[in-house]
Amino acid sequence: MSTLSSREPLFWAVQRQRNRGVIGLFVVVIAFLALYAYLFPGLFTLGGFSKFTQNWFPLALVAMAQTLLMMMGGISLAIGPLVSLGAVIAATVMGTAFGVTGAIVAVLLAGLVVGGITGAIVSYLRLPAIIVTLAGSFIIGGIALIILPRPGGVIPAGFSDFLAGHTPAAFGLLVVIVILWKLYLATPLGLGIYAAGDNPIGAFRSGVAVNRVRIATYALSGLLTTLAGLFVAAQTGSGDPVIGTPFTLNSIAAAVLGGVSFLGGRGTMRGALAGSLLLSVMINVMFFLGFPPVAQYIAQGLIIVGAVAIPQFTGRWRRS
Amino acid sequence: MRSGLSQTLSGGLLAGIGALSILAFAASSPAFAASNCIKGDRKPPYKVGWANIYSVPTWMKQTEGTITKEVADLKKQGVVKDLIITDAQGNANTQIQQIQSMIDSNLDAIVVDAGSSTALDRVISDACDKGIAVVNFDSLVDTDKLTAKLNTDSNEWGRQAAQWMVDRLGGKGKIIIMNGPAGVSVSDDRRKGAQPVLDANKGIQVLTETNTEYNVAPAQEAMTSLLFSNPDIDGVLSLGGALSAGALLAFDRQGHDPVPITGENYRQFLELWKKEGVKGWATMQPNWLGALAVYTAVQALNGKDVPAYVKVPLPVIDDSNIGSYLDRSKDFPADGYIYSDFDTALFDKLLAQK
Repeated sequence: MSTLSSREPLFWAVQRQRNRGVIGLFVVVIAFLALYAYLFPGLFTLGGFSKFTQNWFPLALVAMAQTLLMMMGGISLAIGPLVSLGAVIAATVMGTAFGVTGAIVAVLLAGLVVGGITGAIVSYLRLPAIIVTLAGSFIIGGIALIILPRPGGVIPAGFSDFLAGHTPAAFGLLVVIVILWKLYLATPLGLGIYAAGDNPIGAFRSGVAVNRVRIATYALSGLLTTLAGLFVAAQTGSGDPVIGTPFTLNSIAAAVLGGVSFLGGRGTMRGALAGSLLLSVMINVMFFLGFPPVAQYIAQGLIIVGAVAIPQFTGRWRRS
Repeated sequence: MRSGLSQTLSGGLLAGIGALSILAFAASSPAFAASNCIKGDRKPPYKVGWANIYSVPTWMKQTEGTITKEVADLKKQGVVKDLIITDAQGNANTQIQQIQSMIDSNLDAIVVDAGSSTALDRVISDACDKGIAVVNFDSLVDTDKLTAKLNTDSNEWGRQAAQWMVDRLGGKGKIIIMNGPAGVSVSDDRRKGAQPVLDANKGIQVLTETNTEYNVAPAQEAMTSLLFSNPDIDGVLSLGGALSAGALLAFDRQGHDPVPITGENYRQFLELWKKEGVKGWATMQPNWLGALAVYTAVQALNGKDVPAYVKVPLPVIDDSNIGSYLDRSKDFPADGYIYSDFDTALFDKLLAQK
């Protein structure tokens, strides 16, 4: 009884501490969402909300995938090609006898396997993740081009309309994924992510199966990435072997915006999600403000710098 | 004779049916519009969106120049009110999002150069459902659920270039083929168009092929190393303008006599072609496709029946008319494309073809 009551405040204390770094970002994101809603009141209709969240969804997934790795001190430069791989597998398998179910299984398996292999190479061969995933990005991108040399393939209209039609199914899926992530964090493998990222040797000596944690995390990250590919295929109604390329950089940008450290052990999923949401809503806000393209490049840079700087300033202000 | 007759007969029949259906339609709805997507409920002045995939390349900047010029003309006539430009920075997912925003803000027309032949299909057909005139040019989408597509024929590009090369070499010789990036449809299509001509002329031996970005530096680098291994070349079948400029620079630096070469209206290539006195041939992807797209969208919104696909004939530059292009070169950026002239009369002629 007493342990329970002492655990509750500790939980919230931890949450408060984790939120501290991202509260500035939350304020920025909410401000942008409010501005967007003001410029485009249609956001509050079911269709408007659905379309907006659909454009955010794949970026949210890859931001989570990248964050998983960065919290563990890893990184992946193969996120983009892996999104493409997921998309082309979906678009080629759905038209065959395996159907939609077979395609979903194939896409998710591909993510788990590619991620798992990457994780195994990084953990057991002790090669730097950045090199392994850079090489991996060429291999995976090549495989995607072999499977589908040109954009094409088939996604049944029903599947596209279910995931990316005029309903917020994608948003619902994201909520489910976030809940699953919370549950996963309560397992030894989930707890190990922070431990292995913060201090791998210390974690190992305290009984964390560091290698197993790493492989599981890479596999999960791969799973989220190919899931993003599956969604992109549904959203576009087709497969495109190079559609994912920009996601590599954007996933890193979203994670870093969200306060996830390159050095591992620090960062939160909610931060990364907020970061990805900012990157996404920014595009729409600039459109509705009527910014010319050249100004958009500059504004984008300023917003990102601002979003990183504001939390720093507020932190300094709070300390003083 | 027979087939000709039956064609005439069925043609007459179809025309009859067409006339009947037009009559029936006109009776039921006075705001009759013939073009795809057009519902006839949008009134001038129109708001036009230009959904660009990537604004940085010079070709795109010049294309945007023709679009803004066309919009300025149409503004003077009072048919266009606004031009909204987006840049997806090469990201097809961003382009989807921006076209969605154009739908959300209820623009009347969207002209689009697609970042992926398939990725935009669904958002474009959503726009079409809303009665927005969607005109796609240059890099095309797969869906036909839009007002019109405008383009030159990339297969034809490759075929004509290969045919010129075969004729120039008298059907016999060793050539190198320079392609754009692998997996890019323009590059693949040009190469595919060249193949039947090469198959039909066995005297032409393809020594090797390159795949590089459409930039001078990588093409020059590739050609330089190829010249070491294959000094004995009779022709360069280049399927891109910057590639040809890179090739000629490589020949020049190596002190190798330039050989007959094909290419595109890239200014640097045209200048090197003249300067080196090479035998050359070039065609172009005219930048005014952008202006034509805006014009087509406005015509469709005004209730004119525009064709769903406009095949724009390839303008050809050869030794006889290169001078007329180089005369105008000062009006174009140094790393730009010298395109053929355009005006409303040309556009009307292109839109009149069926």
